[in-house]
Amino acid sequence: MSRAPGWRAVLTFAVLAALPALPFMSKYYLLLAFDALLFGAIAMSLDLLIGYTGLVSFGHAAFYGLGAYATAILLERGVHSLWACLGFAIVVVGLYALVVSYFATARRGIYFALLTLIFAEVVYTFFRYTQTFGGSDGIQGVPDAHLLPGIAIDTPLRKYYLVLVYLAVAYTICRVLVTSHFGRVLVAIRENEDRARFLGYNVQRYKMVVCIVSALLTGLGGAVYPIRSAFATPDLLLWTESGEFIIAVMIGGLGTLVGPVIGGAFFTLLRDKVSSYVDWYFMVIGLVLIVIVLFMPKGLLGFRRRLGFKQWRTTV
Amino acid sequence: MDYLVAVLLPQLLHGLVFGAALGLLALGLTVIFGLLGVMNFAHGEFFMMGAYAGVAVIGLTGSFWIALLAAPLIVGIIAAFTEAATLRPLYRREPLYGLILTFGLALVLREGIRQIFGGDMRRIMPPFTGSTPLLGMTYPDYRLFLLAASSVILLVIWLFFTKTRAGIVVRAAVQDAEMLDGLGVDVRRVFTLTFAGSAALAALAGMLLAPVFTVYPYMGAEMILLAFIVVILGGMGSMGGSVVAAFAIGFAQSLFSLWMNPQRVAIAIFGIMLVVLIVRPRGFFGREGVLE
Repeated sequence: MSRAPGWRAVLTFAVLAALPALPFMSKYYLLLAFDALLFGAIAMSLDLLIGYTGLVSFGHAAFYGLGAYATAILLERGVHSLWACLGFAIVVVGLYALVVSYFATARRGIYFALLTLIFAEVVYTFFRYTQTFGGSDGIQGVPDAHLLPGIAIDTPLRKYYLVLVYLAVAYTICRVLVTSHFGRVLVAIRENEDRARFLGYNVQRYKMVVCIVSALLTGLGGAVYPIRSAFATPDLLLWTESGEFIIAVMIGGLGTLVGPVIGGAFFTLLRDKVSSYVDWYFMVIGLVLIVIVLFMPKGLLGFRRRLGFKQWRTTV
Repeated sequence: MDYLVAVLLPQLLHGLVFGAALGLLALGLTVIFGLLGVMNFAHGEFFMMGAYAGVAVIGLTGSFWIALLAAPLIVGIIAAFTEAATLRPLYRREPLYGLILTFGLALVLREGIRQIFGGDMRRIMPPFTGSTPLLGMTYPDYRLFLLAASSVILLVIWLFFTKTRAGIVVRAAVQDAEMLDGLGVDVRRVFTLTFAGSAALAALAGMLLAPVFTVYPYMGAEMILLAFIVVILGGMGSMGGSVVAAFAIGFAQSLFSLWMNPQRVAIAIFGIMLVVLIVRPRGFFGREGVLE
């Protein structure tokens, strides 16, 4: 359980980086892989809250959508620098997360879920009905972002590598966080909040910090999204989107970092495959969620273990 | 004076009517929250299913009144099976799992209804269409009936919880299910029946409101957030608080919509909730330490 990313993580990223070299990786599959990794990274940052700290956020769509709008607004207004977009997203999402986390972490348990949900709904209502940002259509057809002046992130391959770098950064941050003393305190809060408080930890401050970190990582993921899709719509902010993030975490397994990435990727592939055959894929996804909660609450990763596979990574 | 009679008074009555129906919805939510510690995301779906059950029964029998009786019954039975199959295995686990499970249930139920009935808007015609002169204005009969019916139901629920043994058992389960189990009550049955009852209430609210609103698969999802706000405002687990908060939100909604467009109203209601939570962190009637 060292702090440096293990060789397995490095190997995994190497494999992911080599993925586009496979002959069948068409443009379509590259973009699907983009979605899968993006979703996985967001689920991973959400798991900092759900799995490690025991706080269920039903408002992560707001962080995600705000990040997406930040990028889309800048791109639409002629600012093409990727770095400007990401920076703007960090500022916007950070300020919002500061307010939300202050109110939401003041209360325990179910209040956290409901307050994050309701805050997110305010943001959704604002973007959905404010014509400045396109109302219900959102911002459509934004131009490509530029890594450096002259280097546009325009091909699916470049977009794929962008999201891979994002995943690597998010994974490193999460890993450093959960293996540090800070991460241990989070687990302590999850296990017994009162005892953590009696030991002298300022529980609310810890919750706020992890909430803001998770929000910023999610917001960065959102900021990457319009670079692939060329749009930002209010639907990204809707609470069902937050629900999908939670489903991805549940599929993968609570309290692990790798699990939610797998869960997010699985969820994206499932959605893609099922929705191309039937139009009731939400029912399939709902059923998958119910089955997982009932029969394998530790998610896919936990299920592997129960089947007797060698542990892939010891979790914190 | 003209303004008062022509604009303000009908709007206040609208608020009262809407608040009463919202109260039915929020009450079930509060009781389930008190029992299972779970904010039931599927509650809005039971509300929606009540309206659709009404559509189906009216299609078969042509009678609004039979539908009004049958809809809560059908939805209650579906809810009882759902609870026994999915929530019962989770009693001993953290409430977090129940919360997430009900989200999955909501997806399945909503999508199921959309597959059966299609995504189109439907209407249930009110059983009577006249209007009555009232305090110098005329008010639709159906809305008056809606107000009377909701009030009677709220009263019956109050009597149930204060006067009957079953009601007292449910309240005891809300307070301390483990102790009740120790006293020899089959708590699992209490949970399942209460869940079914709360779903039936939601269905009744859906059926009653259907002639005033329209019926579509997402009507529950849109209503549930308002119901959540009501429960938070009233104070988690406080039944009286939920009813008071439901009327407050009903009035706020209808009065604000005199001066603002609907989306501003939604934001204003969120604003009210935040202010209340800053001033009174546990809502109107929430007590310290309840499920925290």
